[in-house]
Parts: sequence; structure tokens; C-alpha cells
Amino acid sequence: MTIAEHVVDVTGLAKDYAGRRVIEGVTLTLAPGEMIGLVGANGGGKTTTLRMLASLLRPDAGSGTVLGLPLGDRRLRHAIGYMTQRPALYPDLDVIENLRFRAAAHGVARPADCIAEVAENYGITDVLRTRVSALSGGWVRRVQFAATMIHAPRLLLLDEPTAGLDAATRRDIWGWLAALATEGCSIVVSTHDLVEAERCPAILHYHDGRAEGPLSPATLIAQSGQPTLEAAIVAQADSR
Amino acid sequence: MSSPRRIAAVARVELARLLRTRMTFTLLLLVPALQVVLFGTAIRPQAARITVAIAAPSPQSATSVAADLARQPGLALVGGTLRPGEAEAMVRGGKALIGIEIPATRSFANPTVPLLPVRVIVDASNPALTTVAAPRIEAAYWRALAIRAEVETTGPGLRIERLYNPEERADWAFLPALAGVTVMIAMIMLGSLSLARERETGTWETLLSLPIGKGEALAGRLLPYTAIGTVQGVLVLAAGWLIFDMPMRGSAAALVALLPLFAAAHFAIGYAISARAATQLAALQGAVAFYLPAMLLSGFLYPFETLPPWAQAIGNGFPLTHFIDAARGAMLRGDSAASVLASGIPIVVALCLATVVALIAQGRRLD
Repeated sequence: MTIAEHVVDVTGLAKDYAGRRVIEGVTLTLAPGEMIGLVGANGGGKTTTLRMLASLLRPDAGSGTVLGLPLGDRRLRHAIGYMTQRPALYPDLDVIENLRFRAAAHGVARPADCIAEVAENYGITDVLRTRVSALSGGWVRRVQFAATMIHAPRLLLLDEPTAGLDAATRRDIWGWLAALATEGCSIVVSTHDLVEAERCPAILHYHDGRAEGPLSPATLIAQSGQPTLEAAIVAQADSR
Repeated sequence: MSSPRRIAAVARVELARLLRTRMTFTLLLLVPALQVVLFGTAIRPQAARITVAIAAPSPQSATSVAADLARQPGLALVGGTLRPGEAEAMVRGGKALIGIEIPATRSFANPTVPLLPVRVIVDASNPALTTVAAPRIEAAYWRALAIRAEVETTGPGLRIERLYNPEERADWAFLPALAGVTVMIAMIMLGSLSLARERETGTWETLLSLPIGKGEALAGRLLPYTAIGTVQGVLVLAAGWLIFDMPMRGSAAALVALLPLFAAAHFAIGYAISARAATQLAALQGAVAFYLPAMLLSGFLYPFETLPPWAQAIGNGFPLTHFIDAARGAMLRGDSAASVLASGIPIVVALCLATVVALIAQGRRLD
């Protein structure tokens, strides 16, 4: 695969906060339909990496392209689906009003059709007329996922999409991600849940302010000599 | 049972949080400092500089009155030597607050000249200002007559004519200005909450990731708020007209046309504050720090003419100052559409400046 065909192709990204380098060495290539998980401790740089890829933060070192465009290019926002960990919906609006807004922001050609499609795909048809503030956390996350998918992005950047959710919703979300990857959507997903992270074919592991990998979970486990990915990550953290 | 230890614990935590919040200093120091400066040095209702124009058939006729008036504190003669009718024209043209029309006097050379009173034409659209000045004029007049050994029965007498607001109704002075004040406060508050609220609730990051330009985001917010501000201003003006018998002698259409510009300017100012504020509370404090001096230095609470030159210079920077002038002009003075719309120029300038600042301050990234 040539560089131009990479959905994500970044080398040595680093970010400083208050004069201190908080993350460095983020090197990553991602082909269409590939999924990579970002794992590591809190404050390790997972969210910062997603924000740099989404052009929300300017890297202090490193360079690269996303969807063939240089990092920071405003056109990227048309083709990326970025889902934050914090609530991204207007709580005082109905679900359908939130989805209409997202569709209009992305210039979706037939918004009503798209809304009906994502509502069907992600099981939120019954709550379309419900005020977001009246939904439970799991439903909010489903709606948020549907809103992120409204313009059928080629690259999904997801920050802890399953944090705090019940088992059924987590299963659904990972199922959707697998299906999307099969359809050619590239996915970068951060997670604390190392059992879930094993669903990712490749993992970028954050520790000591560096991003290591990507490696497959199996390789990471084998290198650590531990039985599971969780044990491998914990062992690495303890060895510091 | 209340426990002193628990009360002390709560007090300690509250104090620690208070001292570690930057906006506490704004609330406790900046706003009081602003009030001390403004009330201590700028607000001087008795120190009005009231412009007086004197017109007489001959320059000599005006000399004694003019000389006496010139000695009065707070009165400023304008227009030089004017011919009959020109002093009144200056008041009606907004170039003087008080015009004195001295009639021709009876003499041996002109024994048939009628004994007409001296007319004092007062711009009473802001009674708070002119009620202070009119007695001074009156006193000066009688002093001049006394010096010339004339008495009331033989002198021509003095007639004060109050233009625009003959009964000197305070509500007529405040209501046109109130339309501006209510719109200003509402728009600046809503504008200052806009981005700060997005940031606090978490939707800001997602908004940044969407292909919505900074200009689009601002314009998209300006549109509904401008409409709301316009309706709000029209309602206040209508209430003044329907409930308080406010006249509308000038161009109502021109005044209503100013409202969207005025509302948009203040929303943009609030938006610019919001773009730099970390929290909604900080943004609201920024809004207060803007509209408090605007209310004090615009002629709403205290006549603009009573302010010292430096405070007037600051006051002229507030769109409210120009809106109040336009509103009083349209409702009370009967100003033409062109005259009312001319007040819109500084409002448009403020809107443009606030928009540029808001767009620069808004940013496209999180860093």
C-alpha cells in the first residue's frame, strides 16, 4: 500500500502542555478498514493523540497526513467522525434535532433519509422525539454514535466510546465498530478496558509519555510473558 | 446539633475555593474599583456643561445676559452672536440645550416695539439635565434686570419654553433609553454565555470538529439573537407608547431599524467575552464589567453632559450612548430618519470591531 492510500499516516507526533512534553513518538499508519486501539494509563496521551488527528490540537513535533491531507487541514473535518468522551449533544434538544444539526453541519444531501438510516442502524428510532436530557447514559452514547456517523465518515476517532456503559451497550458498540471496519471505515479508538481492547487488531500502547506500537494484542502479550493483555499492560506499568 | 468544627470545616473549604478562583478577584476588586472610579470621578450631575445659545436683534442686547451667563458654572455659551430665531434653531438642531431669544427692546427710537418676553427654549428631552440649568438661566436673567434697575412690571419678563417634554416627565426620558438598556443587557448576557456554556457542557470540542467555520458559527448565533433582541426592544418601545403615552414624533422606522444592529453589536461583544472566558461565571462577570460602565457613561442614569471629557470619550465608545440619543431623538425630538440612522454609524463600527475580536478570540483549535 502506498502512502497516499493510507487513511492515517503520521510520524513522531508530540505535544507539550505548559512547557512539558506530555506525549511523544506517536507514529501510526492506518489503511482503509483498519482499526487500532489506544490503551494506557489516564493522562497517557490517548485523548491528545485523537485530538491531534482530528486537527483540534496542533502537534509540537512530528508530521503526517490524514485522509491524504496534512494534519490541521480544515477540509479534514468533512470526512472525519470524532466522538468525544464528554457529552456532545445538546441536552435541551430532541434527539432528532441534534441529528438534524449534525447533518446540516456536514452538508448531508438528504438529511431525513440519513437520520432514518442511522437511527435504524444504531437502534435509536424509538427515542428520536425524546429530549436528550431525558435519556440514560447508554442511550445518550448510542445517539452520540449515530450523530458521529451521520455523514458516513471514512475515519472514525472515538474517545472512550464504551466508558461507563452497561455490557449490552458495550457489546453493541464493538459490534458496530467491527461492522464499520468491514465496510472500509478506518477506526482509531481509545479505551481503558483492556479486555475490549483485545478486539482491536492493533494497539498503540501509551506509557511513560511515549506511544509504543502499533502491535497486535497477541504480540504484546507474548512479549510480556503474561497471560492476558490486561496483565501485560499492568506488568509494564509496575516495572516503571 | 450544629457542630462548630463542621461549620469551620465548611468555612475553610469555602474560603480556600474562593481564594483560588481568579474571578473572585474580579468580583471583589475589579467591579468595586470600577464603581469607585466612575462614581467618584465621572458622575457629577451638578457639574453639567450645558450649552446655551443666545440670539438677539443686536449684539449689544445679548451682551449683559451673555456676560452673566458666562460666569455661571456649568453653562457654556455656544454659537457666538446669533440673529433672532437662530438660538431656537440651535436647540431644535441638537447643537445647544438651551436657547435664549432676546426680543427687541422698546426705546425712544422704537417706542412701538411690543413688550415681548425673553424666550428660553429648553431641550427637555432629558429633564434631569435641564431642570438643573433652567433656574440658573432664570436667576441670571433677573440679576441682569436688577443691575439695570428694571423690575418685573416694566421689564419684558421671561418665558421658559420646554421643548419635547414640556411636563419634564422622567419616564419619557428613561423609557427610550430603557429600550436600549434592556436589549444591551440581554444580548451581552446571552452572548457571553454562548461559547462558555458550550465549553462547560462539553459540546464545544465536538463543534470544533465539525466543518463549521468561525464566521458561520458566529453568524448562525447572531441571527436568532438579533431577532430576539429586536423584538425585545420593540416591545419596550411599544410599552412606553401604549402605557406611558410616549410620543413618537420622529422616524419610528429608523429607530426600529437600529435595533437589530444594536442587538447584534452587543451579542457580538458578549460572544467575544465568551470566547476568552473559561467558565460561564467568568463570562457573566465580563458582561457585567462591560455593561456597568455603559449604563453609567451613556446618559442613561446620568446626563451625558455632566460627565467630564475623559468619561464622555469613553461613553462615546459604547453603542448604548448613541442608541439613547437616537431613541430620544426619534421619540421626543422628532428627529428625521437620516438623523436617527446617523446614530447607527458608531453602532455599526462597534458591531464590526466586536465581530473581528470575536472571530480572532474564538479559535479553531483547543490549544
